[in-house]
Amino acid sequence: MADKKILVVDDEIHIVQVVAIKLRNNGYQVYTAENGAEALDLAGKERPDVIISDYQMPVMTGLELVENLRKKSETAEIPVVMLTARGFAIDDQQRESLKIAACLSKPFSPREVLQCIEEVIGHSAAA
Amino acid sequence: MNTKNYSLAFRRYRFVHITCYVVLFLSFGLCTIFPMTTMPGYVPILVGLLGIAALLWSAIGWIRILRNLERLSENLGKGQPGLSIARDSSPASILAKQCTETMRNSQGKIEESTERQNDISLKFQLVQKQKHSIEQIIHTIRDAVVVVDSFDRIVLANSAAEQVFRFSAQTAPSRPISEVINHHEFVAMMSHIRQSKLPHLKHELTIEKEDEKHIYDCILSCIRDEQQEISGVVAVLHDITREKEVSQMKNDFVSHVSHELKTPLASINAYAEMLVDGEAQDEEAIRQFCTVIQSQAQRLNRLIEDILNISRIESGLIKVDKQNLSMALLVRDAVEMITSYAQEKNITVHNPPAILYDQVYADKDMISQVIINLLSNAVKYTRQGGSISIDSQVNEADGIIRISVTDTGVGIPPEAVDHVFDKFYRVEENKKVAKGTGLGLNLVKQIVEKVHGGRVFVSSEVGKGSTFGFEIPMAAGQPVTTKA
Repeated sequence: MADKKILVVDDEIHIVQVVAIKLRNNGYQVYTAENGAEALDLAGKERPDVIISDYQMPVMTGLELVENLRKKSETAEIPVVMLTARGFAIDDQQRESLKIAACLSKPFSPREVLQCIEEVIGHSAAA
Repeated sequence: MNTKNYSLAFRRYRFVHITCYVVLFLSFGLCTIFPMTTMPGYVPILVGLLGIAALLWSAIGWIRILRNLERLSENLGKGQPGLSIARDSSPASILAKQCTETMRNSQGKIEESTERQNDISLKFQLVQKQKHSIEQIIHTIRDAVVVVDSFDRIVLANSAAEQVFRFSAQTAPSRPISEVINHHEFVAMMSHIRQSKLPHLKHELTIEKEDEKHIYDCILSCIRDEQQEISGVVAVLHDITREKEVSQMKNDFVSHVSHELKTPLASINAYAEMLVDGEAQDEEAIRQFCTVIQSQAQRLNRLIEDILNISRIESGLIKVDKQNLSMALLVRDAVEMITSYAQEKNITVHNPPAILYDQVYADKDMISQVIINLLSNAVKYTRQGGSISIDSQVNEADGIIRISVTDTGVGIPPEAVDHVFDKFYRVEENKKVAKGTGLGLNLVKQIVEKVHGGRVFVSSEVGKGSTFGFEIPMAAGQPVTTKA
């Protein structure tokens, strides 16, 4: 897994830290960002294999971040896992059109995040 | 007197008159043929005298009849039913008596009928009054009421209906509803319920009123006559716009609060699981994880306290512990608490020297929370490198202390300024700048106005910054506390 890059985006620093520790402990290379603009910049530079983003963030929401990612060719295909406190915030149509790989509801479990990332990477590799 | 008696009397009177005329005729006849007869000379004289007497008697009788009839006619003309002339049994007297009696009967009937008419008139007035009263009641109802007959013509529409559908209720009666009310959906519903004969129909209608969309809960009911046939439809429209807004606000609140609660809860849950799973690789990591859990638990507690405090203040159940305090000391403590947060964003906080006499009689925890909320909001909505200043003013004449917090932050659009103290309200444009529940400023307002009888104020300019503040009464001649 050492070659797999994950970008974690959340304005809640504690959430970013805990997800990063869990993923690093499991061999992933983790990048972190506090907001959508920063994430967009990092995604273009580092080309992560998966992006984990919070849904509700200041400056740029998770959905806006995904929309912007899809506009650039180098980030258009990066799978995104959305963390949300409102499970109903993203409807199926949005998920499909923005190619959101999975949604996890807060409060989530780091184990759950890890499992989700593995599935998404496995699915991408298979595709 | 009955008809039989009257007829007998009249025949007798007629016989007497005829006899008189016969006698008169005979006496004239005898006088004519006397020279051709051998009768003694006194016979024609006697017969002549008899004839003259009969003529006189008959004439007197006629005069009496005519006089009585004249008096009767006069009395009848005056409306006097009684006649005192009928003391004999002449036909005139009898006729007069009968007329009198008929008149008396007629007058009795007229009186009875007049009484009945008065009674009906009173009942009519009463019904009119009740109708007017019911119409007034319907007109004063705040809900719009529209009534149509079985031909969809307007029977009644109250003032509220006039305002909702913008028409003149005075000219509306008897006109087809489709001509009067320019709302296709409503008109169609009225027609539909009448034709489908449903007892009731409930529907939500959106109607534009003064350039604002209003939502109405519309209940239509069929009116049935004695034969149970549908004679019309009554519609009552209740404006539920505000209720909908409140409901939406509650939903938004639940949504916001659940998000705000879930964020620290997510941290607590995640870090606890990491500890359980042995993901903390050393003592330092374990300590760091535990610290996060603790701070997030405190954050959760603060949020719950905010919600509960607003609820308690609103319901008047909060325990208030007022004492004499120095406002300058409260401000100083609040600034100390907020400094590290401001430093994270490189924001300068200016706090001028304390005013000598700035004592207030207030609840220390509550007023501290007010100042902290204003300061933390100022930091939250001020970009990196900005500044915040706190100002205290004493208005001794009015016995008021005024605290204001001015920032160089993002500012608030003019249309949003009036709503910033509303519960759950968040400035749409600033939602992306920082997270929040929309409870902090409402709590400030509740504490200042409801608990301390003061007032809050705000002024702002987009891109330049905002000034939030409050005024509360000074402690009146009470000793200054040394602790704060």
